[in-house]
Amino acid sequence: MKTIDAKAKDLQTVNRAVRAAVNGEPVIVKHAAHLHGLAAGLKLGQVEVAGDAGDYLGVLNAGAVIHVNHDAGRYAADNMTAGTVVIDGDAGYGAGQYCYGGTVVVRGDAGDFTATMNKGALILVAGDVGDEAGTYMLKGDLVVLGNAGQNFANYLIRGTVYLGGTWQSLGHNTRQEPLTEADLAKLRGYFEQYGLQADPAQFKKIVAASAKPFYN
Amino acid sequence: MAVVGAFCVSVNREACLNAQMPGKCATCAEVCPHGVYVLDLATGQMHIQNYNACVGCRICSEFCPADAIRVNPAESEYLSRYPWTLAAVEEVHAKAQTGEYLLRGFGTQGPTPNFDMITVVPSQIASAAPRDKYREECDLEVVIGADTCERPLRLKLPFVWAAMSFGALSLEAKQALAIGAAMTGIATNTGEGGLVPAEAWLARGFADEARTRKQWDPGGYLIIQWSTGRWGVSVDYVNAGDAVEVKIGQGAKPGMGGHLLGSKVTEDVARVRGVPVGSDALSPCRYYDVQTLDDMRHMVAFLRDVTDYQLPILFKLGPSRPYADVAACIEAGADAISIDGLVGGTGCSPDIVTQGVGIPTIACIPPAVQALKDYGVHRKVKLIALGGIRSGLDAFKALALGADAVGFGSAAEIALGCRACYACHKGNCPYGITSQKPELRARLDPVEGGRRLANFIHASAEEVKILTMLSGHRAIAELTTEDLRAMDLNTAALTGLKLAGYERPLPIWEALTPRPAAEPRGANGNGLKRARPKARRVVRGKVPA
Repeated sequence: MKTIDAKAKDLQTVNRAVRAAVNGEPVIVKHAAHLHGLAAGLKLGQVEVAGDAGDYLGVLNAGAVIHVNHDAGRYAADNMTAGTVVIDGDAGYGAGQYCYGGTVVVRGDAGDFTATMNKGALILVAGDVGDEAGTYMLKGDLVVLGNAGQNFANYLIRGTVYLGGTWQSLGHNTRQEPLTEADLAKLRGYFEQYGLQADPAQFKKIVAASAKPFYN
Repeated sequence: MAVVGAFCVSVNREACLNAQMPGKCATCAEVCPHGVYVLDLATGQMHIQNYNACVGCRICSEFCPADAIRVNPAESEYLSRYPWTLAAVEEVHAKAQTGEYLLRGFGTQGPTPNFDMITVVPSQIASAAPRDKYREECDLEVVIGADTCERPLRLKLPFVWAAMSFGALSLEAKQALAIGAAMTGIATNTGEGGLVPAEAWLARGFADEARTRKQWDPGGYLIIQWSTGRWGVSVDYVNAGDAVEVKIGQGAKPGMGGHLLGSKVTEDVARVRGVPVGSDALSPCRYYDVQTLDDMRHMVAFLRDVTDYQLPILFKLGPSRPYADVAACIEAGADAISIDGLVGGTGCSPDIVTQGVGIPTIACIPPAVQALKDYGVHRKVKLIALGGIRSGLDAFKALALGADAVGFGSAAEIALGCRACYACHKGNCPYGITSQKPELRARLDPVEGGRRLANFIHASAEEVKILTMLSGHRAIAELTTEDLRAMDLNTAALTGLKLAGYERPLPIWEALTPRPAAEPRGANGNGLKRARPKARRVVRGKVPA
């Protein structure tokens, strides 16, 4: 397993080294918290980030598996289309925004505007999320095991949001729906796959009240 | 609604096919985007049911097989009834009846400060002699990113197509723009609706995806737009073009994101954008993943990284605070900055925003240029002016004001056949330019459209060349504000240009600026700077306003 020490190195140098390394074997990157855009645009490979990651971790990820063993900065997994980003600690503002596909797992808490404009990814947060999580989702799933802040799932258009805890306030254009057997099986599968302890039956399911809330 | 009641529609019933043979022709009702005409299904007779709705596009006249329709401007009510013109009254009635504000397409209606009150100063005996347009050369090339990336954009002519998305435009219109760019060596732009695959090879002049058949020379470029909705964006999308444009705003609706109503989100559009069929694609007004100017720098950095430092990064601004916004783009790392003025068009926008928000193009350019100069990057970080540019004459004036290139948006649509009916948002464009309906799209041949666009560009380039050379220059890069004069006080006040006859800038500009003698003659026209305290530079860590 190749190790890249990013200390005092710039984004170009580190990302070029990562791209060269992931073609063969998993790569460990350490001391990379100062880099914003680490592992950008990868299509394959496995990257282990030892310690914290900066902002825009794995932006435009298109197939790589990226694992951070501590916290990630803001906008983790931004605009991902495929692959997996797992953050063992907390994620800052805006994790999993603009994603078309793939999976984002945050084992700690995630900040405001998590999963905004999700267009097809699975965003799984084991802890709490901040305000406005799930804003303007168009497809995909947002699953939060903990609590949510204000305006949860605001102006949901398509896709499904599941919450294990409570919200401070629910966003516009949302309605609660009973969980189906398919929902329960799906949630059970997610939890088993990522080793999370939760009872799917206790979750609330939120869907869009209208597919077209403006300009009818 | 500014045009409501502004036109008189008359039908010559002696010539009208329907009047002679009821039921045999209903062309006017079919093509009118605004329901001016109606066919009585019981009698087969055509009637004018709502002449107040006519916007003067004259599509009906063009399509009428008997040449029986005349549309003439009505007497202006602005003298007799202002402010309660018929348009204002009808607008209030419409809102009272529906509870909804008005949407429309295209650009600002009515008079706004514009290029027409600027005149070009030719060379005579006291200045450098004119150049011979017919027998001497003129350099019109513009290079973007020469010092910052591996593959600079080398525009053969100082023009780009303004960003217009697939969805707002038909597939055929997008293809025509790409072909037109290939035939002239300029750049087309994806807009924010994702990539129509054919754009990538058509823009480079190839007729096939494998790029084995070069059909259009010299070949052009494709600018990939990165925007707030991020429709259809992936790492492959970002790498599909020759430059990446970070859209901050646009002239028709600055401060708002793109609007594509669900009626135009067909299966094809939905597939390219990665959104549900029939859903409104209402882009956010800002980037959810940018909160500070530092974030914007990081965004530019990772865009350079995922494109392997090959491509220039452009910014596109709406018309807000040109000096500060351009300064912010420079600080964020832009290779070129487009600024889209008030008159810039759109496929759909709230009427009040298109009509009443933003700074006129002629007033955007001088402060934008000043910001570039204050940062020492004028002519290095390129400035592209957009918003109501109609011809080589407008383009020349923008270039002499300090822009490096100009963008055509509405003019490109008109070159494709559009008659400015202001109904792009409805999806019923009779020319197939802004419609997704197969029967209307079939009316637009992409190759023929590309040829018309190329003709327009060639003609406009010749106009720029004429004006550049009669002003005594060998290259557009030599143009300065000294090549222009304002013809009225307002234009002189807005632009800082010398007032024709007065031969100086207005005192409000002179009082704010260093003495003209401090500038070498001809170095940059009047050489005057708007005095701006250095403290007005953008504060680090703040998002561009």
